[in-house]
Amino acid sequence: MRTDLNPIVSVDEVSIFFGSARAVDGVSLEVLPGEVLALVGESGSGKTTLIRAIQGLQQVSGGSIRHRERPEQESTDLRADSGVQMIFQDPTGALNPRQTIYDIVAEGLRIRRDGTDEEKRVGDALARAGLRPPERFFPMFPHQISGGQRQRVVIAGAMVMNPILLLADEPVASLDASIRGEILALMRQLVDDTGLSILAVTHDLGLAWNIADRVAVMYLGRIVEIGTTEQILENPQHPYTRALLSVVPETRRMEQQILQGEIPDSKRIPAGCRFHPRCPLYRSGDLDEGIAARCTTEDPHLMLGAGWHAACWAVDPQTK
Amino acid sequence: MGGAPNNVTETPEFLLSVRDLNITYQTTRGPVPAVRGVSFDLESGDSLGLAGESGCGKSTLAAALLRLLPPGTTTSGEVTIDGQDLFSLSPGGLRAVRWTKESIVFQGALHALNPVQTVGRQVCEPMLVHETEVSQKAATEKSRNLFERVGLTADKLDYYPHQLSGGQRQRVLIAMALACDPDLLIADEPTTALDLMVQAQVLALIEELRRESALTLIFITHDLSVLAYVCERLAIMYAGRIVEEGPSLEVFRQPAHPYTRALAAAFPTIGDPSSRLSPTGLGGDPPTPGALPQGCPFHPRCPLAEDRCQDEEPGLRVAGASRAAACVLI
Amino acid sequence: MTSIANRRRRATMGRVWKQFRGSRQGMIGMTVLLVFVTMALAAPLLADVRELNPVFARAAGNPQWAPPSEFGPLGTDHLRRSVWAQFVWGSRVSLFVGLAATVLTIFIGSVVGIVSGFVGGRLDAVLMRVTEWFLVIPFLPLAIVLASVLGRNIWNIIFVIGVTSWPSTARLVRAQVLTVKQRLFVDRSRSLGASGFHLVGRHILPNVSGLILANATLAVPISILTETTLAFLGLGDPSSASWGKTLEEAFVNGAIIRNAWWYFLPAGLGILAVVLAFTLIGRTLEEIADPRLSQGR
Repeated sequence: MRTDLNPIVSVDEVSIFFGSARAVDGVSLEVLPGEVLALVGESGSGKTTLIRAIQGLQQVSGGSIRHRERPEQESTDLRADSGVQMIFQDPTGALNPRQTIYDIVAEGLRIRRDGTDEEKRVGDALARAGLRPPERFFPMFPHQISGGQRQRVVIAGAMVMNPILLLADEPVASLDASIRGEILALMRQLVDDTGLSILAVTHDLGLAWNIADRVAVMYLGRIVEIGTTEQILENPQHPYTRALLSVVPETRRMEQQILQGEIPDSKRIPAGCRFHPRCPLYRSGDLDEGIAARCTTEDPHLMLGAGWHAACWAVDPQTK
Repeated sequence: MGGAPNNVTETPEFLLSVRDLNITYQTTRGPVPAVRGVSFDLESGDSLGLAGESGCGKSTLAAALLRLLPPGTTTSGEVTIDGQDLFSLSPGGLRAVRWTKESIVFQGALHALNPVQTVGRQVCEPMLVHETEVSQKAATEKSRNLFERVGLTADKLDYYPHQLSGGQRQRVLIAMALACDPDLLIADEPTTALDLMVQAQVLALIEELRRESALTLIFITHDLSVLAYVCERLAIMYAGRIVEEGPSLEVFRQPAHPYTRALAAAFPTIGDPSSRLSPTGLGGDPPTPGALPQGCPFHPRCPLAEDRCQDEEPGLRVAGASRAAACVLI
Repeated sequence: MTSIANRRRRATMGRVWKQFRGSRQGMIGMTVLLVFVTMALAAPLLADVRELNPVFARAAGNPQWAPPSEFGPLGTDHLRRSVWAQFVWGSRVSLFVGLAATVLTIFIGSVVGIVSGFVGGRLDAVLMRVTEWFLVIPFLPLAIVLASVLGRNIWNIIFVIGVTSWPSTARLVRAQVLTVKQRLFVDRSRSLGASGFHLVGRHILPNVSGLILANATLAVPISILTETTLAFLGLGDPSSASWGKTLEEAFVNGAIIRNAWWYFLPAGLGILAVVLAFTLIGRTLEEIADPRLSQGR
């Protein structure tokens, strides 16, 4: 069982506020060694803010983020932690056009003043990212290679640091459809070969199905459902997850459930269950009166139990 | 849709007929062919999905259908809309065709709207310019109706673009495109920047509009899975050509061309065990229009390529009932 | 890896030079500039420095207001001095002042622009207010005041031009820094643990250096013109012959009324040619630094 291994990173009741906007509002999450965890949500769900906090680029307002084998850490120290690396949505923007591929991949090592065997390690990282022979790419500039290769360079630049956790922010969203699969395959392969973990932030449920071991669904700053990919994508419990899945063009097994409106402003989070104003279960009026009352007054917590994994009063077996 | 692509008969009943269209951009580095020999027909009420990756020519094709290409671009072939030859239209005739016969919804709703004008005024503008509504009052009344049709409340007419969300802006653009009751709506990646749920809302809106007003639709995107459910027919473009064409679900589920197969597999079916933990993709990148490979432009990336693919560029050939694909293996 | 780095640097230089040679305007500018630089460097060979001295000129028996047909390639002025000598020796002063003032301008402007743009916050606000202050006070009066307070020698002229013309460079550089700072690769580097110095040195500077260089070549003509203006207003260094001073003396002594075109035309055309040459070179470098300009996209 993976669960008895120490988590790579534990996010404990983390909140991140921007003024009165509660971008992340009490999120707990663990990334286990050797797993791919997909953090799924729409824009405004707080997923990118959360990942920036894990990376140490964003201060948390409450709660804590702990990395393995390390006591509580100040977020500024975390940046220098080569164990957590990041790959980006837009590989073209993530590469300095004035630097060669070699310099780009070697940058992390140079920042850490870790110059031993630099050339060999850069070559290895490029090869591991599927750019072979690496020497051919050393003197090239980003504009001389293709979009897919650029994302491989970004991945190589992260892998050269021997990370234990890779944070991926929409890693394939800006890539052409036919290249997408290649990059996802590479990410999965890195996990399987080296045992690192990936926390991938995405709105793409197909990505989760393609590479993730577990899926967490975020809505308005909160995780509303978490579980194995099969649990979440084949047997979703939270009405938000169900609605999301129903509109993915690739799954037309369910009846489409198009939610009205858009994610509310994180400055005005609805009372009770934050999803209830848009919730198809609540709006249908078929809910038991007691449950419906709870939906408007009480904030449901994510509690994991046998067979259920959602923060929802309507599907929580204990309320039934 | 006009059946097999080598059918050259021109029948005026087609709302839109594209015949052997070639579009070449003139750049400082020489001519760049963006669209190469594309033909298709649309009857009134049809919906055609155009899918392909960056540089395949799909957006150029869309721009050509409205004659929005940059000056100096060379075109050959024929585009007829409602019996009129698009390329020989006078500037006045062209203005009449744009908006009233065909209109376009662009991607990137923020850039397509003027930031310093209320969206209401921007929706009224084409009506007044094309004199489909004579008075400001009538135009405002019509805008109100349009906003209702696209699912926006009338008070949004007085909003500026930045006060609206991405999904709402996309709705405004759709309302604008419908302002002069066009017969043909061209949607160029209208949902690309939108979230999943908002995308679903916009797609449902387009479907609904089509159903209630017999709108003819050309929907362009890189996401094959979206098209498969929005459009009746699907055309896949690669390197400036249509490489496969047919009824959408058939093309999506049983692709004939190896490229279509790769494109369809790029978006896994959730719940399908064969794609679980095994993403599939193609090696290499889409070719740049300026430097197309010899022979079949897809052969360097094709898993099924044979020797002859290096010399021979296959045209579309029949691949089943009302289907066609451009591959020597068919 | 230093050998690889050096090889790459040489390759980059080679690439820039190749692109530069491919540009007609760049090569025209370069040729014109080379002519003048050669002239400035070879001044002692081309003209006797004593020809600038009116006492020497009179002693040598030079004619007064002589047109080129009567005396040496370019005639003489009201003090019987050779205009050719003034032209040749004046190119030295003009070019030197132009370049030195530009170095100062670009240095102050770049430092202020980079610090302001990169650090941001309160420091940015303060620096930008200072910059705006310098930008809104009328340049010429300030320069005149400074020049007269500091005294009329060549170093003061350079200083005056430098401290009065950096604000536009600072604003330009700051704007560019702000855009580069937003780029994802800066975020990437920061997430790798990069310090502010690393970010500026490795990412910001290389991406604004092209602009700075182009701006510098475009600042040279401005500096030369400023020097000319100051000299023309009688605020130049009295002990050195610059083109601006030649123009001033020609004007003051009625060369125009006398139709003594040979007196003012060489200096005027010299300024025009050098300014144009630097502008052409600057434009070309700008295009090379920013490939989007030349690819016409």
